[in-house]
Amino acid sequence: MVELKPIRMDEAARYLGYGGQMPDETILSLMRECEGPLMEACRPAYSVGIFDTEFCGEEEVRLAECALTLTGKDIVKHLAGCAKVALVAATLGSGVDTLLRRLQRTEMAKALLTDAMAGAAIEQICDDVQAELQGKMPLYRQTWRFSPGYGDLPLSLQEELLAAVEAGKRIGLATTQGHMLTPMKSVTAIIGLQDMTKELRKVQTEDGDSLSAPVGACAAGACAGCAYHESCLSRQDKTENETSVANLDNGGQA
Amino acid sequence: MSNYPEIMILDGAMGTELQAAGLPLGGVPEVWNIEHPDKVTAIQRRYIEAGSQVVYANTFGANRLKMAKTGYPLHALIVAAIGNARAAVVEAGKPETKVALDIGPIGRLIAPLGDLSFEEAYDIFAEEVRAAKGADMIVIETMSDLYEAKAAVLAAKENSDLPVFLTMSFEENGRTFTGTDIDSMALTFSDMGIDGIGVNCSLGPAELLPMVKRLYTATKLPIVVKPNAGLPDPATNTYNVSAEEFAGIMRQMLPYGVRVVGGCCGTSPEYIRELTRVVREWEAARDRVGESDASFWPEDYRELTEFRNTRPTGIASANKAVWFSEPRCIGERINPTGKKRFKEALQNGDMDYILGQAISQVEAGAEILDVNVGLPGIDETEMMVRVIRELQAVVDVPLQIDSNKPEVLEAALRIYNGKPLVNSVNGEEKSLTSILPLVKKYGAAVVGLTLDEAGIGKTAEERFAVAEKIVSRAESVGIRRENLQIDCLTLTASAEQAAVAETLRAVAMVHNNLHTGAVLGVSNVSFGLPNRDLVNATFLTMALQNGLTLPIMNPNSASMMGALRAYRLLMNIDKNSLAYMEAYKDYVAPTVVAPAGVAVGGTSAGAGVSAPAGDPLPAEIAAKLGDGAAALYNAVVRGLTAQGADITKSLLGTMDSMDIVNGVLIPALDTVGAGFESGRLFLPQLILSASVVQGAFSEIKEHMRASGAESVSKGTIVLATVKGDIHDIGKNIVKVLLENYGFTVVDLGRDVEISAVVKAAKETGTPLVGLSALMTTTLPSMKDTIAALRAEGLPCKVVVGGAVLTPEYAAEIGADYYGRDAKATVDIAKEVFGV
Repeated sequence: MVELKPIRMDEAARYLGYGGQMPDETILSLMRECEGPLMEACRPAYSVGIFDTEFCGEEEVRLAECALTLTGKDIVKHLAGCAKVALVAATLGSGVDTLLRRLQRTEMAKALLTDAMAGAAIEQICDDVQAELQGKMPLYRQTWRFSPGYGDLPLSLQEELLAAVEAGKRIGLATTQGHMLTPMKSVTAIIGLQDMTKELRKVQTEDGDSLSAPVGACAAGACAGCAYHESCLSRQDKTENETSVANLDNGGQA
Repeated sequence: MSNYPEIMILDGAMGTELQAAGLPLGGVPEVWNIEHPDKVTAIQRRYIEAGSQVVYANTFGANRLKMAKTGYPLHALIVAAIGNARAAVVEAGKPETKVALDIGPIGRLIAPLGDLSFEEAYDIFAEEVRAAKGADMIVIETMSDLYEAKAAVLAAKENSDLPVFLTMSFEENGRTFTGTDIDSMALTFSDMGIDGIGVNCSLGPAELLPMVKRLYTATKLPIVVKPNAGLPDPATNTYNVSAEEFAGIMRQMLPYGVRVVGGCCGTSPEYIRELTRVVREWEAARDRVGESDASFWPEDYRELTEFRNTRPTGIASANKAVWFSEPRCIGERINPTGKKRFKEALQNGDMDYILGQAISQVEAGAEILDVNVGLPGIDETEMMVRVIRELQAVVDVPLQIDSNKPEVLEAALRIYNGKPLVNSVNGEEKSLTSILPLVKKYGAAVVGLTLDEAGIGKTAEERFAVAEKIVSRAESVGIRRENLQIDCLTLTASAEQAAVAETLRAVAMVHNNLHTGAVLGVSNVSFGLPNRDLVNATFLTMALQNGLTLPIMNPNSASMMGALRAYRLLMNIDKNSLAYMEAYKDYVAPTVVAPAGVAVGGTSAGAGVSAPAGDPLPAEIAAKLGDGAAALYNAVVRGLTAQGADITKSLLGTMDSMDIVNGVLIPALDTVGAGFESGRLFLPQLILSASVVQGAFSEIKEHMRASGAESVSKGTIVLATVKGDIHDIGKNIVKVLLENYGFTVVDLGRDVEISAVVKAAKETGTPLVGLSALMTTTLPSMKDTIAALRAEGLPCKVVVGGAVLTPEYAAEIGADYYGRDAKATVDIAKEVFGV
């Protein structure tokens, strides 16, 4: 059972462009004010499907008994050595969108903070889903979360991914014409599952497979293999002068 | 012979059975209508043999969006699906079995939740309905968005004469994914001419039982229930309730108005067989004992039935039901009559002001908002639709649509997400014939004004006679009496003192003899008098005592809201005074003066903590500006949102408006901006400072308006988040900052059509258009928008921004400027406008 925990303010601060710093007390107390309404608006829900993989050449992974076929070199690399794959769809629900809409009309500063905190919340939900999965499948090591639209994996697979885990019916997730997820604070992810015994042998022969990082890869700073290495706002291995404080539009899909 | 209609048995799961027959997860079930018709027919035949009197054609997802990729024409898939179901009926040898067109969710959400328009959703459903020749009925199911359900119901009703069932899917908290509760669904659809309403999917029968009971108390329509076979195991995707258990729990629901039953995900013909057996047994037992045998009916059955039969109706937004069972405040402030500022907002399309009025009324305790946007020189229909769309995106209280023009009302009724109250019809023939049919069609409630061709009757009896006429005419077109709220009309005490008592008497007559609700515009009574609040609050109490249910009033008036709250407390409506206690928990008696002064934000900067907001004013500048100005400056740099407006207000007594703007606000904002640019301050601090300036600006504008001065703008900028992109917080941040610096922003919103950007650029003649996009996938749309602006030969410059943009890409797609962040965009605007 995955449930919402108190928002990690340090994570939210990262989304707000603070890098490793914590916001000053004025902003922090405003963030604490935002937390209650945000928690109240959240209805976290997720849907997971586990499928066997079938690799077809360098640019295609098929999933057994599933209509979704993953295409592109990046996803093939991501899933290298994974006999199974977990498809995950998770959302905070449409109440958060409504809250953000209202705040943008009345209190922009709170809207900005709540938006970042919601980003932290959905990531926490995804971490917990992965932890739960780990508990159920202890013999498998998980890759980090790869999403449609990363690298050369088409964003247009979003609908088929949702269908494969019945996300519309189970958690109310839909897409826009441009394949964006609605409600907006939602995530879809493809997680490779490596059979640990086989994987151990592999490590002995091929030293350091940097493409597959364990649970919590982002937090651990395993950024090198990520397709978003160049443009990620939250990158851990970023140097100081690279820090772009705030883009014109940083209200991101988490 | 039973006194009850026979309970109708629906079928069970189609998807589950198709998967068992080999359909992969995520596969398109409707394709099997053409590729494996025999398998589809075989499933339906088994259901008929198990007892189903209705089979759903395999058309759940058969809409043009979902079917686009299949390569089959939508029409062919639907015709084949109905053909397969018909074949099953023939094969099973039960020709009386009905075939239903099954309509499920589109798979894309309607705005503001998603990017689909209500009209497009309607079109998609209408196409399905028109393709379904040969179906006996239409079932709309598994809906979680009330708005989408409304589009489907309208499409079904307007494009066929078939019976319609609607079932929505609820989670364990009693709400759908988009927040709709049972009551809101029941109120919205009970008067829209459908034939059955209920719940399906998402949960098992045990979880749905309390929701069915609730629905029973909220509607008089036959109830439809089609639960899953319990809850799915997330790992194995199997359901946890057996056929016997399923039927056993379903039996417990039957007393509560349930007339149609079946199964959803995880149920099989076995479940339907068991369900049929149990239902028929229950019916036989019921017919043996009848309604009077207390031992047969569940313990809470009588109580719930009594409640249901005596409960008046109500109105609802998608997420909130408001029953007419007790006095409720209708907020009157969204109305331009006598309000200069509001008129200006309508003329300029200033939605922020209008929404601000709405939010402050809701916060003050309004449970319904009246919406009147009639003003000479503006297109009332277009404005009404726009304002309602904006309102229902940010406030959850139901709306009262206020216009006497049928075309305005129809447009508003159509796009309203819920069941509104129409304000109003009156006793004039023209009004009765044009407005009542609209109220009936859209299942709304309506205010009836007690005036007619002869004007307003002087006596209570005359007004009562008009009320009677309105009620009888409404009933003759099929509007239930409980949907009527009679307005006996408040006259002004200073002009017609004796008329006040007549109004009160008329309210009592309506309440006691007509048994409809009563509404009154309260505040009118005190027009022209000093201390209006006192007169209003007193009149309100008197009217409530005479039977007023819906006062239209100013919720921001503490004494009027106080009178209403106290009335509810004194009449034992507000049980245990909970609402009253909550409203006044921080109440301080007016003789005690609250200490002045507001706490100032923290200043200590420990290790790892970012710097607090900008530095206070250097002493020498402070001395030059004077104390008041220095305080305002400090409020801006420190982001003290609570103080900006107040300081500005007092400063306006001694300082010129433009001096405040140019001498204090802009320099303060520049200081914060500089801190932000250098990386010492962060975006939240910049926005907090911007909010202080916003508050100061609204005071300055108010002051200039009052003194008759023209407001000064540095120029107009058009902003849009491009077509295909629905993430617009970044654009909204830029907007706030631009407005801070005195620019007028025409905000086109998100997911904006290219043509709309071109049109706005042309109409405003703006020298600068700002475009925002968040996702890589919407960058092409940004490029196309720029190309369209160039193709029109418009002289405007274009600034672009967004998380994934780079200066190089901005240049490549033909933008003149790359706005790295909101501050940079302001600098670009200053450059373009030369200010």
